[in-house]
Amino acid sequence: MKLKKLLLAALLGSSVLALAACSTPGNKDSDDEAALSDANNNRGGAQTAGLGDEDGFGQDGRKGTLSQRTYYFDYDKSDVHEDDKPAILANASYLAAHANKKVIVEGHTDPRGSREYNVALGEHRSKAVADILKSNGVNPSQVREVSYGAERLASAGRSEEDFQKDRRAKIDYQN
Amino acid sequence: MRKIVLFSLFICSILFTQSTFALLSMELTRGVAGAIPIAVVPFSVEGMPPQNVSAIIANDLKNSGRFKVQANKQGVDNIVVGQIQQTSPNHYEVSFKLLDAFKSKGAGEQSAAISKKFEVSGDQLRQLSHHISDLVYQQILGVRGVFSTRLAYILVQHLQGAPTRYVLEVCDQDGYAPRPLLTSTDPIMSPSWSPNGKQIAYVSFENKRAGIYIQDVGNGSRRLLSQFPGINGAPAWSPDGRKLALVLSKGGTPNIYIMNMASHQLTQITNDFYINTEPSWSPNGKSLVFTSNRGGHYPQIYQINLTNKAVTRVTYEGNYNARASFTPDGNHIVVLNRNSDTFNIGILDLDAGTFRVLTNSGVDSESPSSAPNGSMVLYGTLSGGRNVLGMSATDGSVQILLPARQGEVQDPAWSPFLS
Repeated sequence: MKLKKLLLAALLGSSVLALAACSTPGNKDSDDEAALSDANNNRGGAQTAGLGDEDGFGQDGRKGTLSQRTYYFDYDKSDVHEDDKPAILANASYLAAHANKKVIVEGHTDPRGSREYNVALGEHRSKAVADILKSNGVNPSQVREVSYGAERLASAGRSEEDFQKDRRAKIDYQN
Repeated sequence: MRKIVLFSLFICSILFTQSTFALLSMELTRGVAGAIPIAVVPFSVEGMPPQNVSAIIANDLKNSGRFKVQANKQGVDNIVVGQIQQTSPNHYEVSFKLLDAFKSKGAGEQSAAISKKFEVSGDQLRQLSHHISDLVYQQILGVRGVFSTRLAYILVQHLQGAPTRYVLEVCDQDGYAPRPLLTSTDPIMSPSWSPNGKQIAYVSFENKRAGIYIQDVGNGSRRLLSQFPGINGAPAWSPDGRKLALVLSKGGTPNIYIMNMASHQLTQITNDFYINTEPSWSPNGKSLVFTSNRGGHYPQIYQINLTNKAVTRVTYEGNYNARASFTPDGNHIVVLNRNSDTFNIGILDLDAGTFRVLTNSGVDSESPSSAPNGSMVLYGTLSGGRNVLGMSATDGSVQILLPARQGEVQDPAWSPFLS
């Protein structure tokens, strides 16, 4: 009986200790909170973007059509594949006919190599697609480019297949 | 009865060691062959300090790879002893001595190379432990220790059914006390410490565009410095803290600019149609090394003299060199280098032209960053398919892995000395 009480006391005592040990000094905690909210106050609350690939046009889909909006590249290359051009041109026609529509063209690389150098390589890919749009009747004010380099990988793996999925450009409708 | 006492002690010891949270764990995978034996005798303790000071010191010295640490003082020349006395609820007197047994004055006596006493609050005990490690390190090795420095890095968490989470974090050099500076569902990259360690510049893709921000490490306030169309990247503080080198592609292709931090005026440094990126300042502020593919298909490192704008090529080793930065002595650059298939961290002696590979794990590494005492290089690497941080001594003698306990860590930057 006494054993049980002692154990209980020890457990209680340890839990109190645990709580005390887990708490961080008050000031530092609220500083961190302030830091976080300050750091985030420029960012809009809602993280969901207006219209992504899936909205309005359905899943990024059938090759050669308006709904195919992701294009893949060979290793170290930023040449658009011939069989992707019909899809890009379809998007160009759509955008040329709807001057209020805006897109972001994203460029991406696989994760090998240096991060900032990959941002520059990703820009070659977004530019390749954006140039086709702009040469086919799309107003430059409708097109913005962002290169994410290797910072937004399509695939978590590191096989050649995964790397192939990472090397891409994407047309992302904003409205 | 004995069993209960032992059980409670067991519980208490578990709680004691978990009383601060380390996001990164430090694993020494290789130490110096001639590591110096040192005893760190567990300090005598009065009261209940929230940190095990002598354990932190022992870990610091052991993880530097340059010391072989033991707990008892038999048979070693260097001995650290000390005591902690709790003088009031949140007040501790910590005294320690570094004894040099070799210089005995007589039988059983030891001369103290260092003898110091400190008065601190509970939440300063960790910092104090690292300070003591610095004092011991400097006394024995003659080089300033980096145990009180910090690491900045990006933590990436892939969550089930939720967008990927990116966090810019700062932690102590031993991986403890991680603090978030920015949490985002858009990528963050390229943290760069100001020379006084009070600010970090970085690239954030919030709002679906690249922007360079400067954030105060202490109070978290930040301002947007650059958000031109296209690339805004690779921020790098000048050694005097007055300028920031950065990369903009607003002119059509990525070029290097220098921004005056007071006036925000931009000066263009490279002006061509190649990729020019990843600028890094020489310690004397007179030149930049940078990455460029101007010499061929793959990138190499070039150096530009900021006075006369003369550009010279720096790297010839292997078929890809990028992300170079000077070591604090200005005599070497650490660089990401590819030879055949793997991306390794290497160190190039600028005078002798000799090149040494520091990572030899067979997996890709990235983003090298020197410790402010020039002894170690911090970088990103892979372990078990996950992004982790690694450290190597600049002579290749010490290897450390710092995996995150949750998520993946990448793109690190070692702070300057913080006083």
